[in-house]
Order: sequence, then C-alpha cells, then structure tokens
Amino acid sequence: MSSPSHGASVSITPFIRIGIDIGGTFTDLQILDERDGALRSLKTPTTPEDPSIGLLAGLREAADRHGFALSDIRLLLHGTTIATNAVLERRLARGVLLTTAGFEDVLEIGRHSRRDIYGLKPAHEAPLIPRDRRLGVPERIRADGGVERAPEPAAIAALIDRLAALEAEAVAVCLLNAHVNPAHEQLLARALRQARPDLPVCLSSEISPEIREYERSSTTVLNTLLMPVVGAYLQRLTGRLAEAGIGARLLLVQSNSGVCGAETAALQPARLLLSGPSGGALATLRMAEALARPNLLGVDMGGTSYDVCVVRDGAVTRMTQGEIDHLPVRLPMIEIRTIGSGGGSLASVDEAGRLKVGPRSAGSRPGPACYGRGGTEPAVTDANLALGRLDPRFFLGGAMPLDAAASARAVAEHVGAPLGLETPAAAAGILAVTDTNLAAAARLSLFEKGLDPRDFSLLSFGGAGGLHAIPVAEELGIPEVIFPADASTFSAFGILHSDIVHDVARSRVMPAAPESLPRIGDFLDALRQQGAALLDADGVAPADRRLAVAADLRYRGQAFELVTPWEEPAAEPAALERLLAAFHAAHRQRFSYSNPEAPVELVALRLSATGLLARAEARRAPGRGAERAPEARRVWLGDGWREVPVHQRERLTGRIAGPALIEEEYTTIYLGPGWDCAPGPEATLIARRAGTEAAR
Amino acid sequence: MSPSLDPVALEILRNALTAAAAEMDVTVWRTSRSTIVRELLDYSTAIFDAEGYNVAQSARIPQHLNSMSTGLLTVVRDFLPLDGWGDGDVVITNDPYCGGQHIPDILAFRPVYAEGRRVAIVGTLCHHLDMGGMAAGSYAAAATEVFQEGLRIPPLKLVKGGVLNEDVLAMMRQNVRRPDMLWGDLQAQLASLSVGEANLRKLAGRVGAATLVEACARILDGSERAMRAMIGRIPDGRYEFEDFLDDDGIDPEPIRIHAAVEVKGEEMVIDLSGCGRQAVGPVNATLASSGSAVSYAVMAIADQEIPPTAGCYRPVTVIAPEGSIVNARHPAPVANRVAVSHRLATTLLGALHQAVPDRVPAAYYGVSYVCSFQTIGADGERGVLVEIEVGGSGAHADTDGLSGYTYGMHNNSNIPVEMIESELPLTLTGYGLLPDSGGAGRQRGGLGLFREWRIDSVEAIFTANLERFRFRPYGLEGGEPGRAGALWLIRDGERRPLGSKVNNLRLMKGDVIRLETSGGGGYGRPEDRAEAARRTDRALGYVTA
Repeated sequence: MSSPSHGASVSITPFIRIGIDIGGTFTDLQILDERDGALRSLKTPTTPEDPSIGLLAGLREAADRHGFALSDIRLLLHGTTIATNAVLERRLARGVLLTTAGFEDVLEIGRHSRRDIYGLKPAHEAPLIPRDRRLGVPERIRADGGVERAPEPAAIAALIDRLAALEAEAVAVCLLNAHVNPAHEQLLARALRQARPDLPVCLSSEISPEIREYERSSTTVLNTLLMPVVGAYLQRLTGRLAEAGIGARLLLVQSNSGVCGAETAALQPARLLLSGPSGGALATLRMAEALARPNLLGVDMGGTSYDVCVVRDGAVTRMTQGEIDHLPVRLPMIEIRTIGSGGGSLASVDEAGRLKVGPRSAGSRPGPACYGRGGTEPAVTDANLALGRLDPRFFLGGAMPLDAAASARAVAEHVGAPLGLETPAAAAGILAVTDTNLAAAARLSLFEKGLDPRDFSLLSFGGAGGLHAIPVAEELGIPEVIFPADASTFSAFGILHSDIVHDVARSRVMPAAPESLPRIGDFLDALRQQGAALLDADGVAPADRRLAVAADLRYRGQAFELVTPWEEPAAEPAALERLLAAFHAAHRQRFSYSNPEAPVELVALRLSATGLLARAEARRAPGRGAERAPEARRVWLGDGWREVPVHQRERLTGRIAGPALIEEEYTTIYLGPGWDCAPGPEATLIARRAGTEAAR
Repeated sequence: MSPSLDPVALEILRNALTAAAAEMDVTVWRTSRSTIVRELLDYSTAIFDAEGYNVAQSARIPQHLNSMSTGLLTVVRDFLPLDGWGDGDVVITNDPYCGGQHIPDILAFRPVYAEGRRVAIVGTLCHHLDMGGMAAGSYAAAATEVFQEGLRIPPLKLVKGGVLNEDVLAMMRQNVRRPDMLWGDLQAQLASLSVGEANLRKLAGRVGAATLVEACARILDGSERAMRAMIGRIPDGRYEFEDFLDDDGIDPEPIRIHAAVEVKGEEMVIDLSGCGRQAVGPVNATLASSGSAVSYAVMAIADQEIPPTAGCYRPVTVIAPEGSIVNARHPAPVANRVAVSHRLATTLLGALHQAVPDRVPAAYYGVSYVCSFQTIGADGERGVLVEIEVGGSGAHADTDGLSGYTYGMHNNSNIPVEMIESELPLTLTGYGLLPDSGGAGRQRGGLGLFREWRIDSVEAIFTANLERFRFRPYGLEGGEPGRAGALWLIRDGERRPLGSKVNNLRLMKGDVIRLETSGGGGYGRPEDRAEAARRTDRALGYVTA
C-alpha cells in the first residue's frame, strides 16, 4: 500500500492529516504532510449508497499518489452531509415521542405561521413522528421547576410496553419545562434504558435545554431519528478504517464549525446538520487569519445554491437556532444564508413582464442548454456563455465542451423575445438579476448584524463563484475580492484546519442584576466543569484549551436574545457591569437603539470549550513559469462586444487590469472594468477596485 | 421608457424594496416586547410610494398589509396632508375612523427624502397588547361605542424632525394596562421605520430620486397589468354567495354576509350591498378593513404569482354602503373587525369557487380566536395575555385540509406554553388537535384544536371574541362542514358552556377555560373517500368513528 521509496517503516509517529469534504458529486480531500507542511488535494467520486466507500478509495488513492502509507495517517477530519441528506430525503429511523400528556400534538401543530401569505394551498409536510407514535406521559413540571405531578412507575411501564408494538427504533423524550427541571425526563430515560437497552434514547434536556416546547421537540426528534442513521454510518466507516489498517483519529465537523469525536457525533448527530457548509466557513476563517483580513464575507456558489457566511473580527458568526427543511434545529451553528441561486438556475419571464432567475434549477440533468443534454431553458451558465465569459472549449478544464449556440438560442427565445431585448442584452439582464439576488442575500447576512459591507472583503469560492464575485462586490460596495487557490476543494482545506469545539449551555430566565450573581456563579462553575470533562475525554492537553463564555441577554419582555460575549466572566458586580455595557452597545449597533435604564434579563449562559489541534503550517507550491502572452476573446460588456484578454491563473505573476478573464481548471474569474488583480499570499488572487487601498 | 429603467433595472429595484420591507420586519420581530408581537407575530411592515400607495410588503398578515395603503391615504387626505410632513417625522394613528382598523393596531409611517424631494414612505403596523378601554387587550366583547374600546390616537406626529413628543407618549402610557409593553413595542416600530428609511435613502442615493419614483409607478402598473390579465382569464359572469356571522355579542341575531362578484373582461365589481346593517356590538368593520378582505380573496385566487401592491386593487371596484357591517359609521365599535374580514373572505372565496372551482378550497375556520386573560395577584399585580388561536383549513379538490394551521386573513404564530407559564400565573393543561372536527368529504377538512388555560392567580378576568359556534365552515361539492367551535368553563370538575362572546368574566384560582376551534370544510362526497385514507384517519386518531 505504501510506496517503497517512502517506507512507512521509517516513520515512528504518523504525520499525515487529511481534511475530507463529501459532496453530492465529489469527495474532496486535502492532504497535509505535517513534517514539511506540503499540502495536496485530490478529488474522487462520491459513493452516495455508502459514502465511506468513496472516502476509503480517496484515502488509498492519496496514499498511492503522494507516497505515504495508510498507517501514516494521524488525523482524519471529516465533513459530512449524511445527517442533512437523511433529513432531506426522510431516510430516518422509526421513532416514538414521549411528551407531557395533553401535549402530544405540539410537534404536529408547530408554530402555525405560513410563508406564502396569499397561497390557498400551502406546502405542509407531515410531522417526522406521526400521531399514533406520540405518547403522553401523565406528569407535569411547572415553569419554576416544581413538580405538579410525578409520573407513576406503573404508567411508565405501560408506555414502555407499547414500544414493541409500535416497532420503535429510537425514542425521543420532550416534556414541558424539562429545560428547568429534567428530573422526569431522566426518570424515563433510566426506565427505558433498563427495559430496552437496544433502543437509542434522546432527552430534550440533554440536546437542547432551552425554553419553547415546539423548537425543543423538533430538535430532540431530529436528533433521535438521526441517531441510528449516523451511528450505523460511523460504525461502517470505523470498520473500514480498521480493516485498512488506519489507526488515525477520526473527528467529525459539526454545525458549529468545530469538530467532535465519533462517539459524540453518534449521540448528538443533529449537531452535524450543517457539517457540509461548515467546511466553507472554516476555510473562510482560515483565510481571514492567514491574510489578516478580520472581516471577510465568504460566498460559495455552486450549481444550485449560493451559501453566504460572515467572519467578523476574526470569528465566524454563529446563531443559536437554525432550520433544516423548515424544521427548527435549536443548536449552535455557524450562520449560513443559502439561496437557490447557482450556475444551473433557470431564467424566465412571467406574464407581468418580470424577469426571474431561480430558484428553479436545471440541475445536472438536463443541465443548462449548453450542456447539450436536452435542456432548452436558459440557465445562468448559458447567459455567461452567451456573453463570452465562459470558454466553450475550456469548461471543467476542457473535459466537457459546451454548445454556445444552444445557450444563445435559449436566452433569445425565453428572455429576449418576451422582453423585446437583443440576445446580449437579455443575457446581461439574466446576470444582473442573478447578481442582485446574490448581493441581496449577502447584504441581509451583514444587515442582520448591523454591519457595513464596505468594511468587508469578499472571499469567492465554489465552481460558479468566480464569474459573479466582482459584480456582487460592486453591488454591495465591497472594495476587495479574494479568490483562493483550489476553489473547488476549498471546504476540505477549511476542515483540515479545524479545532475541537464543544458548546454547552445552561438556560434559566433571571434578572441580569447583582441578586442573580450567586446563581450565575453556580452556572459558570457547572459549565466549566462540563467543558473540562468533555475536553478530558478528547485528551486535550491543558495548554491547548480555550474556554469562551457568552450570555444570552435581552430587555425584559423581548423574545429574542443577543448572544453577548463575556470577557473575563466572573460572578462579581464589576464583571456583570462589563457584560451589560457590551449588551447595550450590541443592541444599539444591531437595532439602532438601546435602553441602558431598562431591566435586562439573562436567559442562558453558554460555554464554548475549544481544544486546539496542533497547527501545522501549510506550504503551497509557488506559481510556476512566466506569464504567457494572454489570449483574447469577444466578451459583452454592457454596451457592446469587446476583445478582452484571457489569462491562465497559474501563469499570473503580476498585476492585470480589468476587463479580463482568468481561467483555471474548474472555474473562471471575471474581472470587471475598473478592477485590477494580482497574486496574493497563500496562492490567492486579490482583486481590488481601482483607486482603493489594500486591506484594512 | 426611461433608459435607466429597463425591465431588468426595474426588477432589481423591486427586489430592493421587498428586501427593505423584510429588513423592517426582522427589526420588529427581534426587538419587540409583548408576546402578541414577538411570539404571535401580529404585525406587518410595508413600503409605499411618495404618495402613499403600497409598493412592497413583508410576508406577514394580509389583513394588515392590504389596509395600510388605504389607512395612509386617509390620513394624508383628511388629516395630515403630505406637504406638512418633514424629514425625521413619524406619524401614528390607531383610530378606526381615521384610516385604522381597530384600536389595538397602531399604524406608524415615516417619509423618506432624497435630493430634496419625498421619494417614499415606510410603514409598520403593530397589534399592541393593550390600549386601555373596558377589557384587557382592548378587545371588549360588549362595547357598543368605539369610545369604550380604548384610547384613540388621531393622526399625529409622535416624532417630529427626529424629536420624540414625550407629552403624547406620557398620555398614551397613562391610559393602558401595560405601559412598559406599549413603549417597548412602539420602540420596535420606530426602530423598524428608521431601518427602512435608511435603506430607501441609500437606494435613492444609488439610482437617483427620479428613478426610484418612476420605478414605484411602474411597479404599481405591473401589478395592475398582471391582475387584469388574471381577471381576464376568469369566465365572465355574476357569482353570488352568502355566509353568516353568529351574532355581535349584544344582539343574538345572525349577521348576513353576502357578496355578488361580477366579472366582466379584465375588471371585477364586488357588491357587498347584501351584507347586514352595522352591528350594535363590536363586530363591525371600516372600509379599510373590508377592502383588505376583498383584496386578499382576489389575490389569493390568482393562478400566477402577482406582486402584491396597491396596483392590484385598481381593476376591482367595491360597493359597500355606509352604515352596513362592512362599512360602519362612527362611533360603531369595531374591536372584532377581523371576524367580518374572515367571513368576507370565506364568502368571496365561496363566490369565486363557482368561477374557478379547482382553485378554491372549502371554508377554513374563519375566526381569529382571540382570548384575553387579565390575571390579578394577591398583591393586586396585573398581567395581560392575549392569545389568538387558529383551526383547520378547508379541503381542496385533491388534498385534505391542514390541521391547526393559520390560514386566510391572518397569519399568526402561537405562543409557546412555556413562555406563558414563565411569565404569568397561568398553567396550560392541554393543547392538541381535535379529532372529528374536520368536515367529512372525499377530501377531509383539516382539524381544529383545543387549548386549556388554568388560572393560578387569585383571580382573573376573561374576555373572548369568537365565531363559528353556530354557522360552521362550509364544505364544497358535497363535502360536509367543519365542526362548530366551543368554549367551556371548567370549575370544580364541572363543565359549563360559554357563548362565543365573553365579556370580563371573573375567574377564580383553579378555573380552567377550554377553547375548541373549528375544523375546515370537506370537499366532495364523504362516501367517495378512499379506503386507505379512511384507515389512516382512524389509525392516527384524526377520525374516531
């Protein structure tokens, strides 16, 4: 398995670290040799029926190609869409939900409100656990944690007896006010584990101990139904790794952009729901550090979607609740805004004469008209091709010739004719609408935090990102755009540089005032102990530990809290004062006003326990060769066709001015007029609007 | 066509305006204080052109959104002409007879200026927890004059040139049950307006004031064109339908709602002359409110997406005689105006079903189940909870109705049980779907639900404004109506029925109020229901028989 020239026998400690990002089509690997920092990448087809097969194939290929033994692999960092896809495709376990009696339907009723307000036929999915498998437990805990009614052992036994007939594969437990007092949930868990040790059990007080019963139920149910699915996958994967003689430590990327061990992932798989896009956020964060750009807007544009994440003051912005397929997931996760806009998004004109792009997508079958697979409607890729921004001979490095005439035909017929526009103007219109949609998504991501786009640089990756990044930056007023190397395996690069992160929280509404300091002190102690225990279990040395505390604060009466970082947290009046001052300032920045006199409530304390993995500096090969005399081709630039130079990225050494196109194997960069571009550190290309200075 | 405004540029501006309304929406949501705004989401935000015509909406509440333009136009026509507005002003009103709908809803508007001219107006409507009056929540079921329903604020400048009028605010605070909530939610409204104003000013700066104004005009024209085309595809004819409101809370007689929809080419005339006379009790609507129901129904039957703006209203003429329940005369009480709107919507949809049968489902529950509790502690401390619940939606020709899902004129969330219990001396003793409440049919109506509140304080005062206890949500094409709603007082283990309108009922510690909401109507004959669907209904307990 190892190449003879690189005998594994000579190395004593394993030295290979691999970041793996499994996408729908490709499994991307980034391979780091920790001895010399050499960084290599590899793409291998994904095996959707069992992604661990493709993963192993990728590892073998990497070992063969780069001359190391499988036993040299020290660390495997794995981003996975296994949980996400299981939910989207409803390939989930058959679950039973135990609730407080009288509230069995909370999961089905949800929160009522609809998104399409004029539609008479709203889309509404069936609940993940149907009504006949939601069982009421005769018990009640009050909002203050007091017990109004304790569950009778006989009643519990009767419920457990029904699980077999219901063919339960996993049991979710979500009782009212369990976030205040988990005693009844724990009682049920003990009884369940004793009677049915074969059944995975998940308690709401463990996975999401926060107020609002529907959101907590939804999170608990998702987690429960994923436990057998993710557990089985991890078992297969670890089995295959062992068979192949790989003793590497396996860590999985969580939605919060940190990694966790396989045991944690199997127990709390809902924490993996944003594992995929987390890689992109991690890569954005890594670039922010490497390039000393603390404010970075990361945009990932592929065939069907556009993902936006924000790195602000050197940290990825996170949220305490998100959703998947309209189902709330209340767990800390990186904040990713996704819109259905990509290279395959289709353009059309409705009868009111509105030009619309997306969210309908041509997908890969039939794909854009230019793929020649039967597509007749124009996709964004067709518009780019019709305007000369893509080279029909050089798509995917020339692996797939494109039919430019088909693109022009599709644009003319479906957009040009109905709007009375010539084909180039129609194609330019498709791109303009696309770019404003992308910019609106990015703007909203910044707006929601009260941030100004002019303080940010834009980091563009994903196969379709390069053609749209400059127009989007123009639209947003962002003066600098960064194009990383290996844009198409960029997420794996991020994963390679992740750390272990455990998020733990204690939720209880109390005044953020001195009288609460004793309880705050208890919570801080409990959180620190819990964080330390988790890092102990991961074997993180004391020097590599970082604990960060934040408080969820709100003005009394508000429903939503601002997660406010608490520097030097302590149960002391001065520390509390500092926290409150930070909250008022954050509220003013985010919402345009603050009420320093108004009473403030503390709703939760959070602790992020980070275990730093050894930083290994990566070293990329420098650009090769002198700049070749560029080619040129006809490109439409708003007012007419112009000859525009076309550069090969790997040959760029100096500054070039827009308009220009820069081609690389899997992507093309469009550099608009008024912008120039030059190679930057970390093998990036950095484009700036002419007349603007380098990064702040 | 101005060169800067090709179809693409126009679409881009439209998206920017809609995004501005959405950003205003987020601001209200995240900063508001009362459960009715922040959990129930009873508010809306919108953008208007320089004259007050609605050009973009947030995805909130149809009842609000299509009345805000009428409200704003009334304010500037009859009370505060636009030439007297200035930069940094905020104009508010809640007066049903000055463009508002009912007392709890405060409308707030702020003009946007660029290049020395007014280019747009931004607006926010919030349903406030309490505005005073004879019952908590300003939702008295027994009012006979608007004066009893709460504090009326005529159109006035709460903020002038950026300076808050503290005197007006003090006056308002003095007259309501929870001044802290009022001010908290008002601040959320003001913050949302400043966010909207800043956004639009930036937009005008980018494209130019003249272009923005031109874009607004073209957006209105575009909606009108789409609306005309849509109406043009509906077969010409006159379609009539009637439905009934149970009563007005004072007079036990049912109230007739009747609509005659005349479709002629690309226009529609909606004649509401057959509706009952204005009611003695608070089940009345002003024209702003009734017009909103008409707009909703017509926009909802569109077979293609139409951008919802004031341009949609142009091809539709509404005839509503003054002094009728759909166009009440001052000082008629109007707290429960939404009951009229819901019934207008079900009536209009019933009429339109005759014209476009495959698009219109059977009747939804058609009530905002408003229940308000004022708890009174041993020390006299008062808490206020306003709940708005929903029922089941009507079945379509090919799908069952949805259970416990917000539909039609309103679009509220529910309030989490744990949120209520952590803030007020109330315990919820049950919340769930109501088996057998959906109308039978080939397609079954959605289920209504039940909700039970137990009083844990020494005493409490309860008010309810409900409907559909007598006249059930209709079925179509042989489908049966949904079950009627009900309200119970459970005291010492004994269940007593309450009527649909309850005014300031005194409750004691341990009392339980149980609400049962209507299911939706069924579609098609029940005997044609597929056997598999029947089995599922029984297995899941949606149907017990």
